[in-house]
Formats: sequence, C-alpha cells, structure tokens
Amino acid sequence: MFLFILKRLILLVPVFFVVSVVVFLIIHLVPGNPIDNLMRAGSSSAQRVQIAAKYGLDRSLAEQYFVWMSRLVTGDLGTSIIQGRPVGALIAQNLPYSLQLGGAALLFSALTGITAGVVAASFHGTRLDDGISGLILLGSTVPSFWLGLLLILIFAVWLGWVPISGARGWTSLILPVIAAGVGGIALVARVTRIAMIETARQDFVMLLHAKGLSPLVIQLRHVLRHALVPVVTILALRIGWILGGTVTIEYVFARPGLGSLLIRALNQRDYPLVQACLLMLAMAVILGTLIGDIVQAAMDPRQRQARS
Amino acid sequence: MNRREFLATSSIVTLGIGLGLGSGLPARAAESEAVIVLSSSEAGAPNQDPIRATLLSLVSNLIYDRLVEQDDDQSYHPHLAESWETTTDGMNWTFKLRQGVTFHDGEPFNATTVVWWIGKYKGSANEYMTAAIDHVEIVDDYTVRFVMKRPEPNLIFNLAQQFMGIPSPTSYEAAGDSYGVTEAIGTGPYKLESFVVGQETVLVANEDYAWGSDLSENRGAPHIKRLTLREIPDSSTAFLELKTGGVGMLSSVPNEFLPQLQKEKQVGFRNLPGIGVTYLNFNSQSGPFTDVIMRQATALAIDQSAVLKSVYTGAGQEAHQFLISSLAESKVDPQFEIRHDLDKAKKLLDQAGWTGGSDGVRTKDKKRLSIKLWTRSETEFKRTAEIVQAQLKALGMETEIVTFDNTTLRDQLRKGEHELVVSHYDWNNADILDWFYSAKNIPFPNSAMWNDVKSEELHDIAMLQSKNWDERVANFKKYQEYLLSQFAFTPLHEPAQNTAYNKDLLEVPERIRGPQLGQPTILDMKTMQ
Repeated sequence: MFLFILKRLILLVPVFFVVSVVVFLIIHLVPGNPIDNLMRAGSSSAQRVQIAAKYGLDRSLAEQYFVWMSRLVTGDLGTSIIQGRPVGALIAQNLPYSLQLGGAALLFSALTGITAGVVAASFHGTRLDDGISGLILLGSTVPSFWLGLLLILIFAVWLGWVPISGARGWTSLILPVIAAGVGGIALVARVTRIAMIETARQDFVMLLHAKGLSPLVIQLRHVLRHALVPVVTILALRIGWILGGTVTIEYVFARPGLGSLLIRALNQRDYPLVQACLLMLAMAVILGTLIGDIVQAAMDPRQRQARS
Repeated sequence: MNRREFLATSSIVTLGIGLGLGSGLPARAAESEAVIVLSSSEAGAPNQDPIRATLLSLVSNLIYDRLVEQDDDQSYHPHLAESWETTTDGMNWTFKLRQGVTFHDGEPFNATTVVWWIGKYKGSANEYMTAAIDHVEIVDDYTVRFVMKRPEPNLIFNLAQQFMGIPSPTSYEAAGDSYGVTEAIGTGPYKLESFVVGQETVLVANEDYAWGSDLSENRGAPHIKRLTLREIPDSSTAFLELKTGGVGMLSSVPNEFLPQLQKEKQVGFRNLPGIGVTYLNFNSQSGPFTDVIMRQATALAIDQSAVLKSVYTGAGQEAHQFLISSLAESKVDPQFEIRHDLDKAKKLLDQAGWTGGSDGVRTKDKKRLSIKLWTRSETEFKRTAEIVQAQLKALGMETEIVTFDNTTLRDQLRKGEHELVVSHYDWNNADILDWFYSAKNIPFPNSAMWNDVKSEELHDIAMLQSKNWDERVANFKKYQEYLLSQFAFTPLHEPAQNTAYNKDLLEVPERIRGPQLGQPTILDMKTMQ
C-alpha cells in the first residue's frame, strides 16, 4: 500500500510541471493585460513602464515562467498585481469559504444521492424507481444559477426562514449547499443505482438470500458495500470541483470563495493570482483522483494487491 | 487501521471540513445597524490605503477626511482645510488647517501631518496627484504652504479625491505593508472594525467626530452607529435583499433594474448627476473615419433621445458634448454641440459621392458603405450599439456589431483595427480630454488615434499653461470646441447615478451632496425608529 501511494506521488511531479506550463500559457496568451486595470485618467506612461518592470511583465514569456516557477518551488506564490497583496494570503482568506460550501455540498449530494440510488435500486422497475430517476434527471438539468434564485425567492423572501445572501452563520449556508449539491445528487444516485442493480445479480447475493438473511440487511450491508466502490471514485473526482465548481453559486449568494476570486482575477488579468488559483484547482483534481484510488484500494483488497 | 476504521475516520474528517469551519465565522450583530451595498464599480477594493490604492470604495470615504470636498455641482468646500489661497502666478498655495481634529488613534492632525502625508505620495501609485508640488512648508502649527514646480489649478480637484484621504502618520508607519488591510486610521466619521475583501466591511461611529464639512447638516458624530458595507455581485440578489429589508440601501442601481424597483412601495430613490459619458469613438487614422465628412455625417445621424428613451428608460440625459454636464468646461458655445440632423448628414454623404444603393446601403466606386461597430458586453452598451446600428441604417450605412468583454476590447483597440466603437468613461474632470485625445496617449488610451497640430496646441495651453481655475476652464472649453468642430467623437448619453433605499429602514436626505454617495449624505442619514 505504502509503495503504491509513493509511486503515485512521484508520478505527480511531471504532471505538476506540465500543468504549470499550460496554466501559465493560457493566461498570458489571452488578450488583455493587468496594467490597464491599474491605469486611471492622469496616470503617465512612465508609470506603466514602471509597473511592467516591477512585476517582470517586460521580460520574455520563458523568463517570466522561470521566475514564477523558481519562486513557486520555494512556496512563494507571488504578489497579486491588482490587489497588491501576497497571493498566498488571498487564497488562504478565500479557501475556508470554498471548502465549507464545497465540502458541505459534496456531503449533501453524496448522502442524498446514495439514499436515492439505494431506494431506486431496491424498487427497481417499479413506479417509485421511475419517479426517483425522473426527479433526478430534472434536478441535474436545472441550472444552479436559476435554482439558487428560485430557492432564495421561496425560502428567504416568501418564507423568510434563512438569510438571502452573505456568509454569516450556518443558516446562510443552507441554500447555497442545496443549490450547489443538486447537480451532484443526480450523478451519485445514478451510479449507485446501476452498481446496486448489477451487484444484486451476482452469485454471492443469491447465496446470502439462500442463507436466509433479510433483504434489507443484504441490500445495506452487502450489496451497498460492493456498489460503493464506483461511487467513491466518482466522489473523489469531484474533490477538485469542491474548490472551484461553485462560482455561480458564490455569485448569486454573494459569498466569497476561490471561484469568485478566480473570476475577478481573470477579468482583471491578474496573472499571478490566476496562475496560482488555476494551478491549485488542477492539483486538487489530480489529488482528488489519487485519494479516490487510495480509498478504493483501502476498500477493495483485490485492487490493492493488483496494484502493489 | 482496518477498512471500517478507515472509512469512519475519513467520514469524520469530511464532516469536520464541511461543517466545522462554519462555527468560526462571525454571527449577525444583534444591535440596530444599517447595511449598504457597494456599487459594483467599487467592488473588490483590496485595501483602504488612500496613498497606495488604485481602487477605493465608499469605505475609505467614511474613514478618512480630505483637505477639501467637492460637491455635485463640482464646487469646492473646506473640510480639514478651513480656507486656502493661491498666489497670482499659481506657484504657492497656502492652506489654513482646522484645529482640534484628531485621528482615530488619538494623534492630533496639524501642519506636520500634511508635510508627512504629501511626502508619502512620492513613488506611490498615486504620485501623479501631487506631482506638481515641489515641497510643503510649515508656516505655523495650523498653516501649510505648498510650493509648486509649475502652476497646477487642478490641484484643488486632486485634493478632493478619495485618493487624498489623510491617514494617521503614526499608525501608517507602524503597520507597514499591512496598512489598509488589517487597520485603517483616519479622522473620518467612521472607524474601521473589520474588513474582508470582496465581502463586507463593518464600520462603527467615531463619537469624537465634530468636524464635518458644510455639505452635511450634521457636522458631528454620525446618527447611524454601526454601518455594514457589503458587496453583492448579482443585482437580482441585491434587489431581493433591499426588498425584504436585508439591506437598507443600494448605493448604485443598474438601469435595467429601475422599472422593477419602482414598483416596490417601500423602496425610495435618490438620483445624482452622472459622472460619466457614453460616446462613439472614431478611429481617425485608418478606415472610413479618417475623413472628417464621414465623422460629421455619422455624428449628425445619431439621435441621442432614442438612446435615452430605449436604453436608459429616460434616466440620465442626452450628451451633446464630451464632458459631464456639471463641469463648467462642458458649457461650450452651443453652435459646437453635436445634435441630430439626418437631412444634413445625408446631404454630406451625397456630396462626398456616397450614393444610395438598391438595398438602402450607399455605395461609392462600387464599394459598399459598411463598417464594423465594436461594443462592450454589458447590456446597456450592447443595446446602445443596436440603436446606433438602426440609426446609421437610416443614413444608408451598414454596420456589423462586434462584442468584446472590457479587457479584451482594450487590447483590441491597441491594434488599431477598429472603426467605430461604443465607449464609456467615468471621470469628473475636464482633463479626460487629455487622457483620450492627446497625441502622447496614442494608441491607448487615445484609441481615436487623434493627432492634430491645432488640437495639441490647445491641449498644451489647457493642461500646462493655465494659471488659475477660471483660466483653466476657459482653455479647456476652447480645446473641446475645437475637438467638437472636428467631430473627433459623437457624444451619446450621460447616465444618472441611481441610489435606492428601503423607506422602512432608513431616512435619506433629499439631496445627495458630493459627486457620489459619500460622507456628507451618510452623516445625515438616520435609521427609522
């Protein structure tokens, strides 16, 4: 197991460098530059040159990449050109909000999705199954932006149960979590349902029935456990999404977070900040996949042996 | 660790991450307070340091005081400077400072503060604001003299800007780089309690405040003791918050939301004169608009009243020259103002040899009169472009609208491939003409690529040779009249600034003083009991 994790971690190094080059080029090659965002009527062109020199924007792309990378490996993410603050501090300020919203949304979609999947699979082929599948399909096609506004209208404006927007206290988290989690429910529920149905057809399940165990115990303790392996993989893949996938939700509910930080930085072409955010999101996806593999290995001894 | 333990542990960790972090966040304050939503143009201000910042919000306007204040009619009023005078050559400015003013940290405000403060701008992002000052002399404890490198009547405008708020020297030096982020100490009516970039700022009343300017009724401590300034990026959310009383005021309301808000009984409005102008920008160096006749015909074909009516539902006013109408420099000789005259426009094109084609598009030497019209992606600019397109069609000019986001548009303008561009600026000073039309600023911000000998001459007189304010006004008028006579641009619209508030929560003075919603208005605002 240890060797397996170590191998995977070493493989991350080249991936990291490739991703960093892509991220760097993406933001530097799109039109626009950060200095325009700093200029106001009255600023002189000498000032423009001065700012360009200060942030190394007057050097070649290769040089700029090298400077950025050499600082990055020492843990220095640079300084935001527009905001004038260390990128690390800006990310640290926004990260807790993203983790909170994304984590809670992931948890919400996992619990609801697995439950819905189990119920649908248990009543496979009945109207209940069709009903749940239909609802899930509907949920996954509703845009989260619109759903967010609808939830605000019903629960905050008409019923007045929760605050409309902001990030003050846990009640302000309820609506964003639902709006962000609904899309994930569909995915989790469908994977759970299919995996449950397939597992239920296997021989050992028939044996369990023959042993005289109750259907409920078979479904929950044996079938679900097997079916969870692909579900965990799906959930792990969504870890990266936790950090950056809730941009529209953050926007509608006026919440801070990495998504809004990235969007604002992109609009202002704040190179160091965009690079750091994108790199972090990319690494989160890669690490999420790794975690998924490890968890899968931990849950399924056959895979563990095959891989190590 | 076995499987079961592993799963249990990882679930607990996930739960912890998901929910545990929530407990550390501040809960809503119980005491009565007012909540104001900042305008989207001020959103994301990263710090409250007037000397280094390039973007400031209402927050810094409330924490700091300035030497002078500007009103909505662009007149100047004393604040921390009780009075000022300039020598006739414009080379010396003497300011009498108000006595008895203290910073939030208890330090006194006096002549030494001003010397330190002006010195701080050297090498900062806002250096150009004080660039004309050679040095500051202390005459006595409460009198300072600015000795100038060159006459600069515009200094008075600079001193009234947000970027010339005066911070406490002691706190500023002690905090170093973190000044403006973790703390911000001024002499203003509110003290900073907490500040989260992009989220919200909490201010508490400065009970010692007794030096408000004559723009407000209340010169003492503010009536509202606790003020939260929030940033809500989505206008629909902000609208619902205002409607339900979650916030008391929206400092700026987008025009497309006005009709909806006007239907709400509990929502009150205050309008301020605009501080910006939307206009058509011509590329004068390549393409069809190098020819003044083409520029004139296009300018005369535009009916500004259609933009006012269709895009802005009547809010704001038509623009017939380049500057905001509250500036004295905007009062140009009426004969130079650009006004709708379609018949004359058609005649001009006829004379230039562009004659009507079969499909309504004019042609000359078998070439169709077809141009590209660029615009920004915001709704109001896209719709303005559509109106312009329709009006130019009536002239026999075919237009293709191309939309860019603002950052991309700026980059595209540098390439010089544009022909006609729907543009907008926000600036309440006539020196915007220098910014957009002086040859030294080609290709950007002078994306009109405007380079004209007479224009440069008039520019230099206005910018560098005006000795006092009246002379500056006269010189800028002449400069603008020349640009108008050359149809360097087509003015379209001067949008109003709309402020909305919840009548059940707040009492807002009838007239909003100052160029934007700021200190004077908020000092006079009260919460409803």
